[in-house]
Amino acid sequence: MKNSKASQLMTKYSIFFVLLVMIIISTLMNPNFLSGRNLTNIAVQLAVGTILAYGEMVLIVSGLLDLSSGAVLALAGVLSVSVYKTTGNLLLAIIVSLVVAIIFNMINAFFVANFAMPAFIVTLATQMAARGLALLYTSGQNILQIGSYAKLGQGKLGPIPIPVIFMIIATIVIAYIMNHTKLGRSFYAIGGNEEASIASGINVVKSKYLAFLINGVLVGIAGVLFMARVNAGLPNGAVGYEMEGLTAAIVGGTSFSGGVGTTSGTLIGSFIIGCLNNIMNLKGVDSYIQQVVKGCIIVAAVLYDTRFKNKKAPKVILQKKDENKEDTEKKEEAPAAKA
Amino acid sequence: MGDDIKLRVSKIEKSFPGVKALDKIDFTVRKGTVHALCGENGAGKSTLMKIINGIYKPDAGEIFIDGQPVRIKDPIKARSLGIAMIAQELNYVPEMSVEENIFLGRLPVDKLGRVKWKEVREKTVKLLQEEHLPYKPTDKLKMLTTSDIQMLEIMKAISNDASIIVMDEPTSSITQKEVELLFKKIEILKAKGCAIIYISHKMDEVFRIADDITVFRDGTVVKSMQAKDTNIDEVIALMVGRRMENVYPKEEIEIGEPLLEVEGLKSGQLFEDVSFHVGKGEIVGFAGLVGAGRTEVMRTLFGLEHIDAGKVKVHGKELSIKRVSDSTKAGMVMLSEDRRRYGIIPMRSVRENASLSSLEKFFYGGFAHRKEEEKTVAKYFEKMSVKTPSQETPIQSLSGGNQQKVLLAKWMMRDPEVMILDEPTRGIDVGAKFEIYKLMTEVAQAGKAVVMVSSELPELIGMCDRIYVMNQGHIAGELKREEFSQEAIMVYATGTHSIIQE
Amino acid sequence: MKKYLAAFMALAMAATALTGCGGGETATDETSGDVYKVAYIARAQSDSFAAWLANEMVAAAEEYPDIELTVFDGQADDAKENSAIENAIANGFDAVIVQPNNGEAQRPYVEQVVAAGLVAITTNSRIADIEGASSVDADPYKQAQVNAELALEQVPENAKVVVLNGPSGNFHADERRVAWQEVFFDARPDVTIVGEDYANWNKDEAMALMEDWTIAHGDIDAVISMNDNMAAGALEVVKDNDMYDDLLVYGVDGTAEACLLIEEGRMTSTCLQSAIDLAALNLETVHKLLTGEETQIDTDIAEVLITQDNAAEYVEMYRERGQITD
Repeated sequence: MKNSKASQLMTKYSIFFVLLVMIIISTLMNPNFLSGRNLTNIAVQLAVGTILAYGEMVLIVSGLLDLSSGAVLALAGVLSVSVYKTTGNLLLAIIVSLVVAIIFNMINAFFVANFAMPAFIVTLATQMAARGLALLYTSGQNILQIGSYAKLGQGKLGPIPIPVIFMIIATIVIAYIMNHTKLGRSFYAIGGNEEASIASGINVVKSKYLAFLINGVLVGIAGVLFMARVNAGLPNGAVGYEMEGLTAAIVGGTSFSGGVGTTSGTLIGSFIIGCLNNIMNLKGVDSYIQQVVKGCIIVAAVLYDTRFKNKKAPKVILQKKDENKEDTEKKEEAPAAKA
Repeated sequence: MGDDIKLRVSKIEKSFPGVKALDKIDFTVRKGTVHALCGENGAGKSTLMKIINGIYKPDAGEIFIDGQPVRIKDPIKARSLGIAMIAQELNYVPEMSVEENIFLGRLPVDKLGRVKWKEVREKTVKLLQEEHLPYKPTDKLKMLTTSDIQMLEIMKAISNDASIIVMDEPTSSITQKEVELLFKKIEILKAKGCAIIYISHKMDEVFRIADDITVFRDGTVVKSMQAKDTNIDEVIALMVGRRMENVYPKEEIEIGEPLLEVEGLKSGQLFEDVSFHVGKGEIVGFAGLVGAGRTEVMRTLFGLEHIDAGKVKVHGKELSIKRVSDSTKAGMVMLSEDRRRYGIIPMRSVRENASLSSLEKFFYGGFAHRKEEEKTVAKYFEKMSVKTPSQETPIQSLSGGNQQKVLLAKWMMRDPEVMILDEPTRGIDVGAKFEIYKLMTEVAQAGKAVVMVSSELPELIGMCDRIYVMNQGHIAGELKREEFSQEAIMVYATGTHSIIQE
Repeated sequence: MKKYLAAFMALAMAATALTGCGGGETATDETSGDVYKVAYIARAQSDSFAAWLANEMVAAAEEYPDIELTVFDGQADDAKENSAIENAIANGFDAVIVQPNNGEAQRPYVEQVVAAGLVAITTNSRIADIEGASSVDADPYKQAQVNAELALEQVPENAKVVVLNGPSGNFHADERRVAWQEVFFDARPDVTIVGEDYANWNKDEAMALMEDWTIAHGDIDAVISMNDNMAAGALEVVKDNDMYDDLLVYGVDGTAEACLLIEEGRMTSTCLQSAIDLAALNLETVHKLLTGEETQIDTDIAEVLITQDNAAEYVEMYRERGQITD
């Protein structure tokens, strides 16, 4: 019985154990790994990716996804930087980034929710459009001399870097939405079975719009943080960031078939990938080898997760029987003892 | 006698984590007979069948076919041993064509490994013609009705030259006419010497076709006997472990003024000019053949299909129904006929499934109130006698009957004025059925309106105060309790009523 | 629903028509019989240097009334770039200038241009040894060499350095790295490379690498970067850290950002790969070839080393182009 409790614990927090093992190995490989400076460093490097991963998690849980987040981030970011350069108004610049990202996500939502087009196709199209607009607007040139805009990405509030503060706020808000609102519950329901959700009285169209709205806000914030961190408006920046976000969400236990996924899992998934990158950089591993290793880790993490998750749900049919048999089972710990 | 035995299983055991699903099962099936397995859901029938079909491996025990011990390691091996299985839950690819489905996994190929599509086409056409199914071999499965897909599955299994055929609830989604067709097929198979294992909750069917009956309860065999030596009451008593006093707990309730009124309802090509009413405390049935439009009327009423014309009133107030929330706000709830498609969120917990339609009760003041949710869910689970290991168990792990009860709990939580039940007892066991009937009675006693769509005439007759019969998108007739009979219903349902009158 | 869809399609089509049917930009409007039609296949509009070059090509073409230049975008994709070349051959152009996405992938298509009897030029970077084709380029080896020679004098003894590489397989990335090896590292065995990785020309990737390297190795004396974007990324990480005040940072390209950083004294040097010069030389070359003045030309623009001494001049150039403001 004790064993099964331990294994239950393992199952519930399986992905957390993966991270823990990774941290232990990393520390053994490089004592610098656990230094405060390196941990802050990892957190800063992860902030933008984690914020995007939350958006992907919310969407995947709802049976959707967003392939446009990297490109929309770039467009929202360069427009924001450029508004800041002309007006010097930081608040206005942030609002511009949010508005641009939200508009693109509402376009996604419009075609996905109202026309039942697959999110994969729609967001692939907006990805191209957003990237094209970013390059068109800047003629492909980086926007330089962005002044104190960079503080948003490089500054600190007390000991904590500002991007990390945004990541923490996003974590709290997303966890709140997923666990403490009707909306969060309906995301899980829609992703789990859309038709059943409709038949249960959930406004599926509205929920899909809101899922994309949440993603839009996150992408808008990420756009500001990204450009501020690199101290420039990079129209060709953040290429493939949507995949980083998707990866973190999936490694963190979000099920691609929808209906399953948590904020904490996504955060941990993001840290698993971040720690992996960090330790390999610290050890000077060639980045092409890093890509191979990352690929393997992703498959391993998801495999581990699905194996455990599948075992987690045995076909228990009657509770009464379960209770009755408990005593006898204790005596018969060894399986097939009778055979 | 020994030569007669086609299949024998001996001391089969199977455990799942936390549950002993089968405990030392012995039973035998004779050549050229139908052996019915009875038992409540979760009694172990389906598990045993899955072992025979090679889907599960037994923990202990042996299987003999024609007296020879066999090891059935997977369904492919089972097929090569002449075992065919018609599953209870239809698993099919909607985009697959009829011919691909029929020959799935056994497409004929030539020496070069190329599929002989011509042969496939010819055989499919022949089969479709024989069974009078109005489809082309290239039609996608999604274009077929559920009952036709079920028929197709049956045809597929028996066209496979199997000598042992397992039928798990084969009639749960086919019409009466098709049931007759199926029974004729079974007679032919018996004559050919096939051994048939027939699992059903429908006692009348079991006693019509079974030669032998084995009753399961809680993973053990309670009794095996010849059908001629027993009766329905005994079998049910063995199944539930007690004697059932009355199958239909119908109470006399005074029927009040109309609660739900529907006038001239029309939706696209599905149905038109549908008018009916249900009074306070009344249970109204909807009968008709599959495809007559009953489900579509209910779905439209509930806001799942578009209303083209007509009025819907609850408590005399006209509703404007555009989506489900419009009807639930007016106090309507509906249990869908297709539990897996329109009912459950499979991977989510039973708690979340149960509270899905009453979220505003547990999410207020900016936070989730988990304790209240758990308490309310527990209360309704107790009322509905839902059996689940915990509130956090994914609903897909429960038996069909328990899933159905969770869904009923979900709707009861809204304290409904009008309760629409579409095939509420399909594929669930006798005990759960009885509980659902009792619930209907309680709801009616509280002065609410109940609408039940069912293809099982005995339950309609047993439970309803009035029955509307639909035929081809219209209400063909209305019967009062004193006029109830299976014949009267069928006359309307088949559209022969107007012919007789003329 | 259909109404909306139709409206959307119409809108999309109108937008396409307004922007010139996806063909690209045409430099000269008048199309008389004596005008040479030249196609310029740009690697990608998403690459900041390629975008700059494309703009300068259009500007340079203005100087030649007998040349009509059309720009096509290869979208950083071999397949797209190759089909753009095929289209140019099929559509009656007299000359095709190709900025390869990946040299070897475009080689057979440039050979097709030659086989079709058209003038073929490869540029930035050149595809070497195509019979009958010409080339205009900056020599990536020399661009790195001028920096490396400076570094020979500046980098202190037993220095710890990090190296930021462009994408592996890219001609410029590889040639620049070879130059650093031969001119600098081979001559300075005392210098240790403590970190080297691919940052794929990207500022953000270089930042992440530099952050991890400063933690892993502490003091670093020099950053040797194969382009300015990555060099700027490395500087971004250490800009507020006194420990790295003496850090030497070398780049290539002469971007606006690098010129500013050099002027401020934070970056050490870069080599200008001037899109203006490259465009002018391309147009000059294609004109010579089209008029039959010459039949085959391989030429390079001069490389200009930018250090704190002359950075102001180039900052001024970028200021005129609007890329730097006050």
